[in-house]
Amino acid sequence: MITFALDTATPTPSLALVGDDGVIAELWLGRVPGGGRRVLEAAHHLLGACGVVPGDLSQIVVGVGPGGFTGIRIGIATALGLGQALGIPVHGASSLEALALGASVACREGELIAPVIDARRREVFAGAYAPDAEGGLRQVIAPAAWDPAAFSLALGKAGPAVLAGDGALLVPAGLAARMAPDGTVQRVSAAQLVARVAQVGPLPVLPSYLRLPDAEEKRLERLAAEAPA
Amino acid sequence: MTDLVLAIETSCDETAAAVVDGRRILSSIVASQAELHSVYGGVVPEVAARHHLTTVNAVVDEALREAGVSLNDIARIAVTRRPGLIGALLVGVATAKALAYATGKDLVMVDHLHGHIAAVWLEPLALDAPFVALTASGGHTRIDLVEDYAAPQLLGQTLDDAAGEAIDKGARLLGIPYPGGPGLEQLAREGDSSAFDFPVGLRGRGPGLDFSYAGVKTALLYVVRDLGEEGTAARRADLAASYQEAIVRPLADRLLRAAEIHGMPAISIGGGVAANGRLRQLVEEGASARGLRVAIPDRSLCTDNAAMIGAAAAFTPAIPWPHYVGEDAIATAPPGGIAA
Ligand SMILES: [Zn+2]
Repeated sequence: MITFALDTATPTPSLALVGDDGVIAELWLGRVPGGGRRVLEAAHHLLGACGVVPGDLSQIVVGVGPGGFTGIRIGIATALGLGQALGIPVHGASSLEALALGASVACREGELIAPVIDARRREVFAGAYAPDAEGGLRQVIAPAAWDPAAFSLALGKAGPAVLAGDGALLVPAGLAARMAPDGTVQRVSAAQLVARVAQVGPLPVLPSYLRLPDAEEKRLERLAAEAPA
Repeated sequence: MTDLVLAIETSCDETAAAVVDGRRILSSIVASQAELHSVYGGVVPEVAARHHLTTVNAVVDEALREAGVSLNDIARIAVTRRPGLIGALLVGVATAKALAYATGKDLVMVDHLHGHIAAVWLEPLALDAPFVALTASGGHTRIDLVEDYAAPQLLGQTLDDAAGEAIDKGARLLGIPYPGGPGLEQLAREGDSSAFDFPVGLRGRGPGLDFSYAGVKTALLYVVRDLGEEGTAARRADLAASYQEAIVRPLADRLLRAAEIHGMPAISIGGGVAANGRLRQLVEEGASARGLRVAIPDRSLCTDNAAMIGAAAAFTPAIPWPHYVGEDAIATAPPGGIAA
C-alpha cells in the first residue's frame, strides 16, 4: 500500500511517498518560480526516483490549507484528478496541523506548538496545539486568519508556546512565546499530512481558505451598512 | 475507429467538459456560474476559481457518463491553457494534467480563442476552411482569416473594449442585471434601433477591420445623464435597441467586408456575443445577399463550452506523456492572438 501525499499551500511545496513501513521518500521544493504549479512535475520525478508508477498508488493525501489560495487549489485539483483517474481515495489533511506536528518536537514539557503561515496583507494563518505523550496534538486555538499582534495576545493567554513556520517572525514576541530553535523543521511536510490522517482521520477534500474573497467581504460590508439599524 | 477527446474548459465563469469523437459531439456539459457572479455585477476571479475547483471533477464525470464512455476509452485529453483568468485556468489545467498523467495519455493544450473559431468545424455545421471568422465575447472581439484550421490569421480586432464588455456596461447603465446580454436583447426587441444615434465604432475611418467600443458606452452614459431618471425609464427600449445596434452592426459589417476583401466563400461567428439574435440576423441576411455560406453555431456552442476545445484539439499538436507535467496555464494571449 503506497500513499502519495502533497502540499502546495505554502511557497515551499512538499511531496511524499509513504509505504507500510513508513516514509519511502519526501521531496521539498524551495521557493522556485512557479512554486505549486510545478507539483505534478515534482511528483513525476519523485515517483520515477522511487520506481513507482501512478498505478501503484493506493491512496492520496492532500494538504487543504490554509495558505495561498492558488497553491491550495492546484494541490487539490491535482490530487482529485489523480484520484479520479486512478479510482483511488483522496483524503484531506490540514497544512497547518502538519506544520505543527513536524515542529512539535521542539516543545518542552507544557509548551504549546503554534504553527504560523504567512497569509500576506499583514495577517497570519495560525493556531495552537498541545502535544501529547503519544505524539498527537490537541487543538487549543483553532486555525484562523489573525492579525499577528492579536494572535500574540491570544497565545500569551493560552500558555507558553513555540512559534514555527514561515509566518512566525511576523508575530510580535510575547512574554511566553519563543521561536522554534534552529534545526526544527518549519515547513509543511507532506509526510506529516499522512501522519496526521493516521492520528485523527481524514478531512474532507475541501480548501481551507479561512478568508472570504475580497469581493464577498466588500459585499457583506455593504449589506451590513444598508441594513436597518 | 474512434478518436475520443475529453476536453476541459475553465477559463472564465463556466466549468465545462465534453467528449468529442472527431467532428461529433458525444457530450457537452456546462456548469454556469453566472448566477453566482450576478450579485457582484461581474465575474469575480477568486469566486470563479473557488467554484471551478468544487465542480470540475463532477462535470468531467457527467461528460463521460453522458457520452457513454469511460476514461479508458479516451484517446487524448484537451484543456484550455490560455488566455483567461489565471486562477480559473489553473484549476482546469491541473485537473487535466493529473487525469492525463495518471492514465498515460497525451495532453493537448488549447488556446481558448482557437476553440471559439473551431466550434463551427463540429457537426452539424461542419464548416470546412477557408472562411472568415468573427469571435466576439466579453473578453475578445476579432476577425480571423481561416485558410487552415490549424493557423487562423488575425485580420482585425478591437482597439479598446470588447463587444461583450460594452454590452455588459451598457446593460448596467440601463439597470439590467449581470450578465446583461440576454436582458438587453430582450428589451431591444421592443425598441426602435434608429431612435438614438450612437457612434458606431471607427465609422468613416477607412476600410480597416478593427473595432472600437470605448466611445459607444460613453455616449450612452451621456444620453442617460441628459434624459434623467424618468426620461431614461421612458425610453429604455429605444435606448437598448439603438445601443445594441451600434455594437452588433459593425461586427456584421466588418465580417462581411473581410470576406469580400479576401475573396472567401464562407463566414462564421462565435463567442458569447454571437448568441445575440440581432447579430445572428444581420450576419444571416448579409451572407445570403452576397451568396456566402454562413456558419452560425447553436447558442450553446457560442458561449464558453468544452466541445469547442475538443474541436481545436484536432488542430493543435498533442504533448506526449509525460512531457506536459511542467506545462502551465497562461493568463495572456500570445502576440497575434492565438497560440496553435
Ligand atoms: Zn470565450
